[in-house]
Amino acid sequence: MSPDSSLNEEEAREQLLDLAADFYDQFAEGDVPRMQIPTRTKSNIEYDEDEDVWVYGDRNSTRSAKTVSGAQKLLKATYTIDFLAQQLDQDRSSTLRELYYLSESWDLDEAQFNTQDESNNLIEDLEIVSEVKREDFHMRPEESGAKVMGPLLLREQTRRGDREIHCQEDVGQGGYQIPNNPDTIEFLDNDAEFVLCVETGGMRDRLVENGFDDDYDCIVVHLGGQPARATRRLTKRLHDELDLPVVVFTDGDPWSYRIFGSVAYGSIKSAHLSEYLATPEAKFVGIRPEDIVEYDLPTDPLSDSDVNALESELEDPRFQTDFWEEQIELQLDIEKKSEQQALASHGLDFVTDTYLPERLDEMGVV
Amino acid sequence: MPPYQSQLGEGEGIAEELAESQRSISIAEFFEKNKHMLGFDSEARALVTAVKEAVDNALDACEEAGIKPNILIQIDEVGDYYRLVVEDNGPGITKAQIPKIFGKLLYGSRFHKREQNRGQQGIGISAAVLYSQLTSGKPAKITSRTQEGADAHYYELIVDTDENEPEISVDETTTWDRNHGTRIEVEMEGNMRARQTLHDYMQYTAVVNPHAKFTFDEPGLDDPLVFERVEGADLPDETEEIRPHPHGVELGTLLKMLESTDSYSISGFLQGEFTRVGQKTAESVIDGFRDRHVGREMTWEPPKSHEDADVRTAVQAAVANKGKQATAAFADEVASRVGDFDRIAHAQLADVIDDVAGIVEDEHDTTFGSTVREKARDAAWRQILGGEADEDVRESLRADLYGVVDDATSTRKDDAAIEGLADRLAAKFASADDHRHRLTPDELSDYVARSADATEEYDDATFGETARENVREAVWSRMLTVPDDPPNVSSLADDRDGASDLLTAMRETDIISPPTDCLAPITAELVEEGLRKEFDAEFYAAETRDASVHGGDPFIVEAGIAYGGELESESGADVLRFANRVPLVYQRGACATTDVVKNINWRNYGLDQPGGTGIPTDAVVIMVHVASTNVPFTSESKDAVANVPEIESEIELAIREAARDLKSFLNKRRSMQQRREKRNKLATILPEMAEKLTEVTDREPLVIDDSIARIMNNVLVEREVEDGTVRIVVENNSDTNADVEMTDIVTAEPQDTNGAQVVEMDGEWFVKWSETVGSGEELTLEYSVDGEADFDLSVEGVADELLTVNA
Repeated sequence: MSPDSSLNEEEAREQLLDLAADFYDQFAEGDVPRMQIPTRTKSNIEYDEDEDVWVYGDRNSTRSAKTVSGAQKLLKATYTIDFLAQQLDQDRSSTLRELYYLSESWDLDEAQFNTQDESNNLIEDLEIVSEVKREDFHMRPEESGAKVMGPLLLREQTRRGDREIHCQEDVGQGGYQIPNNPDTIEFLDNDAEFVLCVETGGMRDRLVENGFDDDYDCIVVHLGGQPARATRRLTKRLHDELDLPVVVFTDGDPWSYRIFGSVAYGSIKSAHLSEYLATPEAKFVGIRPEDIVEYDLPTDPLSDSDVNALESELEDPRFQTDFWEEQIELQLDIEKKSEQQALASHGLDFVTDTYLPERLDEMGVV
Repeated sequence: MPPYQSQLGEGEGIAEELAESQRSISIAEFFEKNKHMLGFDSEARALVTAVKEAVDNALDACEEAGIKPNILIQIDEVGDYYRLVVEDNGPGITKAQIPKIFGKLLYGSRFHKREQNRGQQGIGISAAVLYSQLTSGKPAKITSRTQEGADAHYYELIVDTDENEPEISVDETTTWDRNHGTRIEVEMEGNMRARQTLHDYMQYTAVVNPHAKFTFDEPGLDDPLVFERVEGADLPDETEEIRPHPHGVELGTLLKMLESTDSYSISGFLQGEFTRVGQKTAESVIDGFRDRHVGREMTWEPPKSHEDADVRTAVQAAVANKGKQATAAFADEVASRVGDFDRIAHAQLADVIDDVAGIVEDEHDTTFGSTVREKARDAAWRQILGGEADEDVRESLRADLYGVVDDATSTRKDDAAIEGLADRLAAKFASADDHRHRLTPDELSDYVARSADATEEYDDATFGETARENVREAVWSRMLTVPDDPPNVSSLADDRDGASDLLTAMRETDIISPPTDCLAPITAELVEEGLRKEFDAEFYAAETRDASVHGGDPFIVEAGIAYGGELESESGADVLRFANRVPLVYQRGACATTDVVKNINWRNYGLDQPGGTGIPTDAVVIMVHVASTNVPFTSESKDAVANVPEIESEIELAIREAARDLKSFLNKRRSMQQRREKRNKLATILPEMAEKLTEVTDREPLVIDDSIARIMNNVLVEREVEDGTVRIVVENNSDTNADVEMTDIVTAEPQDTNGAQVVEMDGEWFVKWSETVGSGEELTLEYSVDGEADFDLSVEGVADELLTVNA
């Protein structure tokens, strides 16, 4: 796979059709059509030393026409390939959800998707097997990419031609909207010192209102929960191409650590694209369990599912570092979690005047 | 086979009652009183019973004569009455037989009869004749033609109910279209409310009598029901009558046997009247009998040299006037022989005395008369028991018994308690009236019980039931069977207690099981055929067990199962019960067969059974046939098999074995069903996928049969024709060997057929192969044709679901 290179429509289409041709040949030889893909579970990801990211291991599962459900998956794959090939041919795009509804129009009941998960998974399967990124199929996620604010000048190819945009001067309070395929962006100029990825919209707004991006010359990237692929891709490009350090600022609970994990190490579901999406050099700002103690933040008790999630993270190969083991064990010990907004208990400016400067200094970013 | 028709079988209770009743009341009155037992308790049931008796009778008649039965049963409404006609193709009967067979209730006695016969199930056709006469006042009309007879005879039969005497009132020659056989016509009160039961009875009878044909008509039918016989079904094997087995008789039977036997001795009686009793077994029984009847004698340890008691001196003193030498020789020899015994009983001592006396008489030319011998014996016995003084005897016996009791009781027993029990037992022996110390088991139990009670009371000890039993056993085992001759048969016949002792001895003696060749099972094959004939099902299984024994009677259980097809499932499974080839249609809930069926977990066999117990709810027929020389019934009406554990266990095994076949059938069917569903599903999915692929890749249309065959693990048969060479390729994708038979019908003459069988017929050639293709293997068959030809290939030997033919 060569995920770094973006494919043009024709190339993407060819690779998809090659896949269909494989099925065709299997039939023609009297063989059983099948498709082999890596098993997408936590137990089948391994660390790629060269790229410093987590990728899928050797375990594969096979979708084979030997079973009715396997045959049905392959049938749907064939129909989807047909649809994507046409879409690319016509230079159109669609969303994952649209694909799900579109399948309703296919005349064969067996080819239709039963749930959106099913169609999403199939697109991921095709991504892996055809080695073509979803973006290159012109498939968009439903939710839009997050927003960026900071001293950065870029050029975006849009349907209405190229646009030059400065991410502070040319945008409103909301910031610059990351397009679905950030590879259509070209970075022109910047005055940034580092990239700060923020989990919640509330905290992003607080930082912008307090002028943190101006004061510290930082590019604030809103993650909006589990970050979309476009957000992660852009973050990686900011790091790789502009040589900016990346730090991640989230709530202090296990789910937020996973958000950091997917920015830094790649997610389990998209481990095939880790080299393309993950920013292994990203650092975690907080909220650390240590901060909860140190800054005496208001807390909520850990729920049972929080505890389970923390314990499962201890077994997650992505979190097996001294830092995370120490922090997670501390949190299990104090049995508490805090949100980013908990910092407001020390005043609205506390986060921009005290917490972040202290933490970033500690980390050597400022 | 029984003599023409059945009489009251083993129901001894009724027999005795009947015999008595007949003296005091008229037969009509008796019948009225007992009609529930005879199966005539309601008008509906009367008709069923009459049909049943007449059909049994007809079947027996035919089978006895070795004729395959062809029986007609017809019921008509005649005014207020129903007329029943039953015709058979049997040997016919002579005038002399008629009153006995049709007229006399309880004619003859089947008392000792041990044979598998239908008659056990009913009281006989005579009851139906009597019932008809009592309710309609009409005589029974009988037509018969014997095999030799030129003409048929017509009789009318009336029973004098006061005298229980049948009379033939009409005797005419008549014409009849049957070459031989018997026809009986009776009119009776009745109703057809039991129509379904009657139909069931006929159908079930047809199932278990596959060698017979039945034609059944009644007013509710448009056309008669015809139950054809199974092609090639033979008559059942003739059954042998066997003598009763000692384990299978009751006291009343035994007394009657004792009364009627020609034997003088018990040994002769046992060997002559019972099966499986020879010289040795008879002796064992008689020993057991003697032990119970006259008791055993206690043995005691003879005095040791250091003890005061002295047999020699005592014997010497007891013998007077026989000369010093002879007396001394006698006493010495007796003492020496007694001393050789570990333990000695009175009877053994008597033998010793007689033996030694004889020798001394010879050697010393003197006579030891009976008085002398008795005196010597008594003196010696006294010494063996301990000596002259009563205290010495008690002490000696106590010491002896202490050892016996100590051995028999647990080590935890207090020594004082054992002493106490031994002492009290010794006292009872010492003071016994019978100085020979002869005791029956009951008397011994009494000794032990009283001694133990006293010991518990005075010595503050406990002797529970087990301890007492152990002591009793220990003492009994040291007692000896006496040499007395057992009483003769005639004295025992009048001695109820003695006969009871004999019966106990018979039951307690190990005797090999009765022979089982006296049974004639239907056989699994014919059970299945019978079911197949009468039930339009999808699957049939049957099982015949080996013979077993309950009490003294051998029995065989057979089970059959019919499943699915046109069977109705509304009322759940049908349980068909049979005893000696006769359907049991009443008291279903009381029958051991029903209990067994309910207790089987049918879910294990793939049937629905809500709650995991009870009758399964599927469309299934479960039939059970119990054949025995004596089928045990719950009551005299003989409608339900009694819950005898041995029989229940065999019923269960038979059903389970048949059910196992059902299970594998259902499993196979299920997996075929799943295969079919899978294939149907794939047959829509894969072609669509192939079409789409063709469209997307813009290539030639795909042929996907090979892939499908591989996916379905099927056997794939394909044809290739190239330049006049025909190749048939058989590819076995399954995991078992495939035995395929293929026939290719070709419109041109095939050549180079490489050993295939070729037959020409009307310008078409049939090319046949019979091949085995191993799992995962491929076979190519080749031949050639000149020019154009059409082909039509058929493949046999592989289930449709497992086969893909592309030729």
